[in-house]
Amino acid sequence: MDLKVVGKPVARKDAIEKVTGQTKFGADIDLPGQLYGAVCRSTYPHATIKNVNTEMALKLPGVRAVITGKDYTKLYGQFIEDQPVIAFDKVRYQGEPVALVAAEDLLTAQEAARLIEIEYEPLPVVNSIDEALTNETLLHEDWSKYNIPGACHPVQNTNIGDTFTLRKGDIEQGFKESDLVVENKFSCSMLQHTTIETHTATAYVNQITGEITVYTPAQSPFTIRPVLAKAFNVPLEKIRIICTAIGGGFGSKYEVRAEPLAIALALFTNGRPVKLQFSREEEFMASVARAPAQIHLKTGVKKDGTLVAQQVKIYWDTGAYVTTGPRVNYNAGFAACGPYKIPHAWVDGYCLVTNKSLGTAYRGFGVPEVACAHEFQMDCIAKELGLDPLELRLKNVLEEGDISVTGEVMQSIAVKECLEEAAKNIGWYDKPLNWTTQDGKLAGKGIACFCKLTGTPSTTSTVLKLNENGSLTIQYSGREMGQGVTTVIPQMAAEALGISLDKIHMAPVDTAYSPYDKTTTSSRSTFHGGNAVLMAAEQIKEQLLDLAAKYFQVSPSQMEYVDGVIRCKGEPTKAIHIEDIEASGILKEQPPVIGNGTYSTLNLYYKPDPLTRQSKRPTVMWMFGAQAAITEVDPATGCIKLKTIGAAHDVGYAINPVGCLQQIEGPIIMGLGHALLEEMIYENGILRNGNMVDYKVPTFQDSDVEMKITLVEKQHPEGPFGAKGIGEPGICPVAAAIVNSVNAACEANLNSIPIKPEHVLFRKED
Amino acid sequence: MKTLTIQVTVNGEAFCKTVGVNMTLLEFLREELHLTGTKLGCNEGECGACTVLVDGKPVNSCLMLAVEADGAEIFTVEGLAKDGTLHPLQEAFIEAGAVQCGFCTPGMLMSAKALLDKYPKPTAQQIRKELEGNICRCTGYDRIVKAIILASEMNKEG
Ligand code: FES
Ligand code: FES
Repeated sequence: MDLKVVGKPVARKDAIEKVTGQTKFGADIDLPGQLYGAVCRSTYPHATIKNVNTEMALKLPGVRAVITGKDYTKLYGQFIEDQPVIAFDKVRYQGEPVALVAAEDLLTAQEAARLIEIEYEPLPVVNSIDEALTNETLLHEDWSKYNIPGACHPVQNTNIGDTFTLRKGDIEQGFKESDLVVENKFSCSMLQHTTIETHTATAYVNQITGEITVYTPAQSPFTIRPVLAKAFNVPLEKIRIICTAIGGGFGSKYEVRAEPLAIALALFTNGRPVKLQFSREEEFMASVARAPAQIHLKTGVKKDGTLVAQQVKIYWDTGAYVTTGPRVNYNAGFAACGPYKIPHAWVDGYCLVTNKSLGTAYRGFGVPEVACAHEFQMDCIAKELGLDPLELRLKNVLEEGDISVTGEVMQSIAVKECLEEAAKNIGWYDKPLNWTTQDGKLAGKGIACFCKLTGTPSTTSTVLKLNENGSLTIQYSGREMGQGVTTVIPQMAAEALGISLDKIHMAPVDTAYSPYDKTTTSSRSTFHGGNAVLMAAEQIKEQLLDLAAKYFQVSPSQMEYVDGVIRCKGEPTKAIHIEDIEASGILKEQPPVIGNGTYSTLNLYYKPDPLTRQSKRPTVMWMFGAQAAITEVDPATGCIKLKTIGAAHDVGYAINPVGCLQQIEGPIIMGLGHALLEEMIYENGILRNGNMVDYKVPTFQDSDVEMKITLVEKQHPEGPFGAKGIGEPGICPVAAAIVNSVNAACEANLNSIPIKPEHVLFRKED
Repeated sequence: MKTLTIQVTVNGEAFCKTVGVNMTLLEFLREELHLTGTKLGCNEGECGACTVLVDGKPVNSCLMLAVEADGAEIFTVEGLAKDGTLHPLQEAFIEAGAVQCGFCTPGMLMSAKALLDKYPKPTAQQIRKELEGNICRCTGYDRIVKAIILASEMNKEG
């Protein structure tokens, strides 16, 4: 196929608005008569609320509403309804909302929130996975009281909010058949997404009809709509979500956070809108986080390096409420053994609740964490067997026709190519595992690969509206959050219809009129949105061919649509280019040309067995990739410097190659932060570093890393133009590759991230 | 609340406004002048999203009081494009693919403008050093460095 628009690097369609400061993000919304909200948050991580005194706050001039948990006792949650909008009987994490204020200006609202007096009776604090596992203190005494609308499996009388299992073969037999059994553990710190835009919502409520409108930078308006409808006890159609631009998502804007608080206040303000914006401190303490993880692995292997059996136990510290923990547990569970052929595999995953902020969706949905663990394990095995780490991986990776740990026959799989390309990109084959540089630094190389599924089944839809002049408006609810979806979707429409890219526009996203899309997560938009757009484009073509046939007075079967030309076969004079459609007059007083695309992956999916997870096809799209790292460690200071990343990701087909590269470069630096810098530090339920000075994300200076990236294109049979997702893959192997390179450099076995200078120095003195 | 009347020029336009003495320059720009291109990311001087130029110098507008800007000439992202033409930095950011979510972009552009005013032909190292206070979570920074170098070359040609 001769492709003209897809496959070419194009500048983002949203760039001009962004560089001129015109893009409207959450906080740029100001509505007439708007009040400002502030939240009185718990100072205790775990306590019974004895009394809330709002008298002083109510007396402050300018205060219009003060509400407490008693005013609103409904629970909400996407998977399990365990979370109150405002805490009413007890608080379960530091920063949990206890009362809300709306006032004429922000300072008054904040002052009023400070004047609210709360009497607490402290309860014992569960600060870690280990403490949660003792079940001495239960955060949720009775799981059975909660409504469970999603796939969530709590264990009664424990702090376990969800469990996951995967079973293949006979694990004990597998260990018996092995020449070597290696056991290790790996842990990952708690992370905050640190999007530069914090959570924000502006809401108003029609006091007569009960209709609720909320402006929000939500990633997944159609996922949060039913959650909000239930939380506020209104029918679905009475919730309207008007989406603002998103100033960074990475999963953090998947969960409702500011929305329920703004809405709860707006119920009590006589129709006046309430705007609520999280401060950076609130963002750290009480928005969302990536759950800390502890992963145990036991792997049986033959002397030649052939993997025989692998048992993985994963513990997630999902914080005070379960939120999206079950989905992280599920996605990571499927990926926990890596993209390898392993005849006997056994995975158990547990979400533990603790008195901390909420561990939920974060780019990769648990895969970067399990990749750190299985790739650390691979390096330990290579070391024990005296094999090259790359060689060990190449020996075991899944290839065409191999059977995965979930029993699927793998197809169009390019993980081997990715490993080879990533290795080449750092010159793997010419380097030893470690060496000393001329200036006395300890250098090492490391490599890592991963597999990740996209959530299946899921559905999406688009509406393509041809305007009178042949330009096109696309309604599609996949949210732009920097990943470039509002460029690749028009590219695909442009290709299908032969309309030039600058004549195609994306409509704003508003649940009042935008078509349904399940969610903007799971790297799914290019694949799912693209398929829907191609279906809708076919309808547009058909309608145009009919109209043109009428005009030329021929039968529709004589017409064809080629590169934007609607023409009569074999009669070159009977042709109209889509861009001349207005002048042609064929649209005049005819039914408007509108195409619908509705796409579902239900028929491309076999529901995995709930215990073993065996399935012919558990996901419509597996994503694979590999990255290799070179790191230098200064033996005097412990300073760790990532020098080079060589990456190779199978994108199926690169619709916008620049966009694909951006989606790998950004995560490489983000992953550098995960591997070497970032951790939320909690002591007895109190966050010790909830600001951007003490919680360090990579800066310009930290990020001077050479990046060599290869886009591997193994076309996906069901992908639009063969394309797959690339929103999350970039992050999945980064930290793992860095850890392996640091361990190679220092001849160490450091098994937790972040790795700090003190960890490598401590090793030296050992 | 104590108030003061200040006179400032913003993107070439003069304003005379009475403001609270505790109002930050960022709040003044966003709430009084409705110039929402300048972003609030942290309110603690740590992210650079709120960077504007005050008398030519890059300033975290979340850390400066509006009254301290009395008499100053202020320049924000809204003032970069002129007469329907993008500033070379804006063009270079688009061309180099230095924009993703775009939330850090206004602050980045203003810091980059100050940098180019100071060093018309900066090295990658200089850019990384001078812009260290501007955080971007999306791009990994590399394309921003390249965009600024690209803009510096456009400048030379123009
Ligand atoms: S908002 Fe001013 S530096 Fe972050
Ligand atoms: S482009 Fe998103 S923070 Fe920089």
